[in-house]
Amino acid sequence: MSAASLAAAGDPGRRLLARLRPGRGGWMTAGLTVVLVAVALGASALLLMLTGASPRASLSAIWTGSLANTTGWTTTLLNVAPLLLVAVGACICSSAGTFNIGQEGQVLIGGLAGAWVGLRLALPGPMLVVVVLIAAAVGGGAWAALSALMLRFRGVNVPVSTLLMTFLAIQLVTFAVSTPWGLQESAQGSSGIADAQSNPLPANAQLASFGQYPSLQPNAGLFIALVSAVGVALVLSRSRWGFRVRMVGLNPLTAKHAGVRVGALGGFTLALSGAFAGLAGGLLLATPVSTNRLQAGLSDNVGWDGLLVALVARNRPLAAIPVSFVFAVLRAGGDFLSATGVPSYLVDIVKALLVLAFVAPPVLVDLFRGRRGTTPQEAPAASVVPIERKAAV
Amino acid sequence: MSALDSSATILASGVRLTVPLAFAACGEYLAERAGAMNISVEAMMLGAAFTSIATASATGSATVGLVVGVLTGLVVGFVHGNLSHRAQINSFVVGLVLNSLVLGLTSYLITTEQFSSHQVGAVSIPLLQDIPVIGKPLFSERWPAYLLILLVPLTWWLVERSRWGLELRAVGENPQAADVTGIKVNLRRRQALLWCGALAGLGGAYLAVGEVGSFNQNMTAGRGYIVIAAVIFGAWRLGRTLLGCCVFGLSDAMRLALPALGVTLNAQLLVAAPYLLALLAMVLFTTQHREPAALGRPFERGST
Amino acid sequence: MTPTTSAVPLLELRGITKSYGAVTACDTVDLRVDAGEIHGLLGENGAGKSSLMKVLLGLVRRDSGTVLVRGEAVALDSPQEAAELGIGMVHQHFSLINGLTVWENVALGDIGKVNKQAICADIHKVSARYGLPIAPEARVGSLSAGERQRVEVVKCLRRDPQILILDEPTSVLTQAESEELFTVLGRVVQDEGRAVILISHKLAEIAQATDRVTVLRRGRVAFRAVTAETTPQLLAERMVGRGVSLGEEGAALGLLPAQKAPAGEGGAHGRQHPVLCLAGLTVEQGGVRVLEGVDLTVGAGEIVALYGVEGNGQAALGEVLAGLIPPTAGRIEVAGSRVDVTRPGALAKAGLGIVPEDRHQSGVVLDMSVAENLTMKSLDKVSGRFLLRRGVMLAEARRLAEEFNIVAPSLDAPVRSLSGGNQQRVVLARELSRDTRILVAAQPTHGLDVGAIEDMYSRLRKAAAEGVGVLLISTEFEEVMALATRIAVISSGRITGVLPVSEATSERLGMLVGGEAA
Repeated sequence: MSAASLAAAGDPGRRLLARLRPGRGGWMTAGLTVVLVAVALGASALLLMLTGASPRASLSAIWTGSLANTTGWTTTLLNVAPLLLVAVGACICSSAGTFNIGQEGQVLIGGLAGAWVGLRLALPGPMLVVVVLIAAAVGGGAWAALSALMLRFRGVNVPVSTLLMTFLAIQLVTFAVSTPWGLQESAQGSSGIADAQSNPLPANAQLASFGQYPSLQPNAGLFIALVSAVGVALVLSRSRWGFRVRMVGLNPLTAKHAGVRVGALGGFTLALSGAFAGLAGGLLLATPVSTNRLQAGLSDNVGWDGLLVALVARNRPLAAIPVSFVFAVLRAGGDFLSATGVPSYLVDIVKALLVLAFVAPPVLVDLFRGRRGTTPQEAPAASVVPIERKAAV
Repeated sequence: MSALDSSATILASGVRLTVPLAFAACGEYLAERAGAMNISVEAMMLGAAFTSIATASATGSATVGLVVGVLTGLVVGFVHGNLSHRAQINSFVVGLVLNSLVLGLTSYLITTEQFSSHQVGAVSIPLLQDIPVIGKPLFSERWPAYLLILLVPLTWWLVERSRWGLELRAVGENPQAADVTGIKVNLRRRQALLWCGALAGLGGAYLAVGEVGSFNQNMTAGRGYIVIAAVIFGAWRLGRTLLGCCVFGLSDAMRLALPALGVTLNAQLLVAAPYLLALLAMVLFTTQHREPAALGRPFERGST
Repeated sequence: MTPTTSAVPLLELRGITKSYGAVTACDTVDLRVDAGEIHGLLGENGAGKSSLMKVLLGLVRRDSGTVLVRGEAVALDSPQEAAELGIGMVHQHFSLINGLTVWENVALGDIGKVNKQAICADIHKVSARYGLPIAPEARVGSLSAGERQRVEVVKCLRRDPQILILDEPTSVLTQAESEELFTVLGRVVQDEGRAVILISHKLAEIAQATDRVTVLRRGRVAFRAVTAETTPQLLAERMVGRGVSLGEEGAALGLLPAQKAPAGEGGAHGRQHPVLCLAGLTVEQGGVRVLEGVDLTVGAGEIVALYGVEGNGQAALGEVLAGLIPPTAGRIEVAGSRVDVTRPGALAKAGLGIVPEDRHQSGVVLDMSVAENLTMKSLDKVSGRFLLRRGVMLAEARRLAEEFNIVAPSLDAPVRSLSGGNQQRVVLARELSRDTRILVAAQPTHGLDVGAIEDMYSRLRKAAAEGVGVLLISTEFEEVMALATRIAVISSGRITGVLPVSEATSERLGMLVGGEAA
């Protein structure tokens, strides 16, 4: 009983994170996912028709904005990078059984740290962009580490603290960009009005893009993100450290038995996921996906969307690559959509419905197949009755 | 403007900002006592604010709008309950998705559709409203605000004195034991979420057809999260939770009023205050162990 | 076999069947319980006892069969209905809620308005009648195991049940507390004409306390008898389904071994080479001393048992030796050198292996593969500095799986897919695979069936014969007597005595368990 409560006390999200992992009832899950995605898209189309818009025109607008030409592809790929980084970070801490939902704030703090360094340090050449990105990662990591410390020393629930910290981050960044001695831009011209944003970062704080308009212009940020995804996937599945992380995620007590510093490792993965989110914030500054100024709106839901990407990818970094691409298409297309008179909020609805369509099937399949017969705790050992065993343990 | 007048103004605006929080906090408090942590309280409030205006605009009656707002909260609570306490999807995931879905839907619809303004009537309580300074702010409100006088004690009685509440608390503390005793754990949690949805819906609808009379994009602007912060700040006690709502409502009112009075106080700090206080409360008072032991922990038969 | 009673039985189950998926928990079970009797329900883990009781309590619905209460067929669709019919249960685990007060706990499961005064009055009345004093306003979280048991019993008796079900009621009780409980039960059936169903897997308890007994095996009724007309050995055979000798297997079933197991050559040899030495080990948890100045030495090749009633500090000792919690004071030496237990994994490195009490919680990672579980504590052997070496891992796992007869679909299959006995073998194989000097086995046979228990016994003996010191933490008297060379008794966190097995008798151990010097 004491062992049980200790295991459960680690993190309330742990058991359900385990549920979100791949596995049982593969075909049924896949089939159900297809059906639910169709329902989600159908519902979105219905909404469009009810509000007097044309689903076909909207779809075509999204297509035009994201995939129809090289400009669209460039925008889409620019959107992939920060989403993927956030998602990869989420995969790491979820593997260790820690549920971080504060990426939006960590992205912003990453942006704040990056902007601060980029505007205050006059470093020569490409060194600046490297330092900006490192500062962003450190900033996001430190912000998440605060939640890790709160868990470690005061037992504060991680999802709750990371969530609340997000709202603090928004206000902190707002404060920084609306304070003259902070990062607020210099007053413009004769009017002397300064908006709540920073000065643009210098040109050498920008990551290189390759290729010339009108051909495809992939940005170096995309490579950083892809390398991170593949690297993290390998580290989690093949390395000693990854082995320990998975052990902590699946059964912290056994991990502790095996000599793993469970609390420290869990806290570290949380900080690491914050660092990836912070790096994503750095990319937002250092790539042309948004303005290269720090604003309170810099993150533009990249943190939330990246988290949703990880959920849809069921915490597998490699699966996050195509999923982040789909989300990037929606983001890129959404901007174009608003130009056609359909509010871009439509893509938020589509995104939310898609997430439901991907998250629900595994659990629904479990429900249909009658969870009681095969509850996780009771192995289906030959001729041994599940419920009976529990009473005796 | 005299100091008395301005404090009355701030008080009045503070009360107006507190009332929607207080409604929703009563609901969230009850849900959390049952162990159900739902950040979808934001979706409940926002959805209700929208449908109340939309309905009022269609029917011409703000009261009907208020009722539909409550129903909207119930629907969100029903959906959340079934996804996270029947299908067992992580409650935070469900909350995030519902929040973004409702935000997207309402933002979309407010852009494509036109709605007219509607507001429920105000009721002033004779004599009491004539008390200097506090009279007007406290005793001259839109009528649904007075429902608090009924709903706060009712919530307390439900949780602390009714059999349903006893079972809710049992479910929030130790779902396995509650199950063995014959309590349907997930059913109780879904019921708690319905109560939460109804009250959060009332809070959201009150914001729209009560205080403001119209709906704007992302109208609740994170008030649902403030409600959660209030419950944490209140250490899962109803009285302190409501105190938290008052503090947060007043700090919001001060943020709005102080610039006009020429007082400079950091606006961001005031906006951040609820979250900061909730975090501080969690960090400083965890030793009291007031949190329901099974808060946010899903229940499945056969799991320990 | 069953004595014929002229009156209508108080409770009669006819052909009860209940399946969970492909597994049939109860297969056409018949059971008849009369007023005024204590009816024993005996069976191995997984025999269907608990499922049957869940049907009876309305917690699960039966697939087929009839339940008759006082001769009338009843539906039994809900716990409330069971309560109205006068069926009450004293649960062993998971049934009281720490955050609520005693009276609130007692009120749970009632229906209608909550009337505190009436409930408190009831509690006083019941506790006075049966001599079970409890304070209604106390928070359950602050009560001892014995007091909680009392709350459970009072909660149940307050409903004035005609049929009282007790599920393994004595596992957390001392001998004295158990006797007190059986005295109360005796009054309940004899003076008040109620019926008691006593669920147990302990033969001695069934033989001592019941009037009639029904034995379940694999979901079916294997045997019925008047307790006085049968013998523990016969019951044991019916429970297992084959003949049992009174040696090893008897102990596995909770019978005293007829002859003492050979003490092993470890005895004298071991004293000279202590592999585990605990000195003044003290653990405080939440201001309570759960372990107080424990001194204990285990020699190489010796099996030392730590015997006591559940909840007397064994769990804390297990957690200290697993490196989960640091001791408040005291010293742990493995193979002669002191171990700094604050360093994670230090005990394991020093050569201490542990089979933890609850293997699902802390012994294995159910969702990792058999190979990963077998090698997770010797990562140095199966990985380079950064990367795992899969080939080496599989080879090592294959070697261990063969040596320990682990039956698994494949080495890549999750441990979840293994039977309980095989899961326990995975733990044992892992813990003995790393130059282990001392093996701590905490309740290693809990929840295993008889075959797996015998296997566990022989492997523990084999380990000892190979020179490993074994510390067996157990609550089962017969198990301790069958395996150990020396027996240390723990009571309220203190060692109350250490006896060589030749001097140990149930009376002496009983007194030590009760905290008295023998």
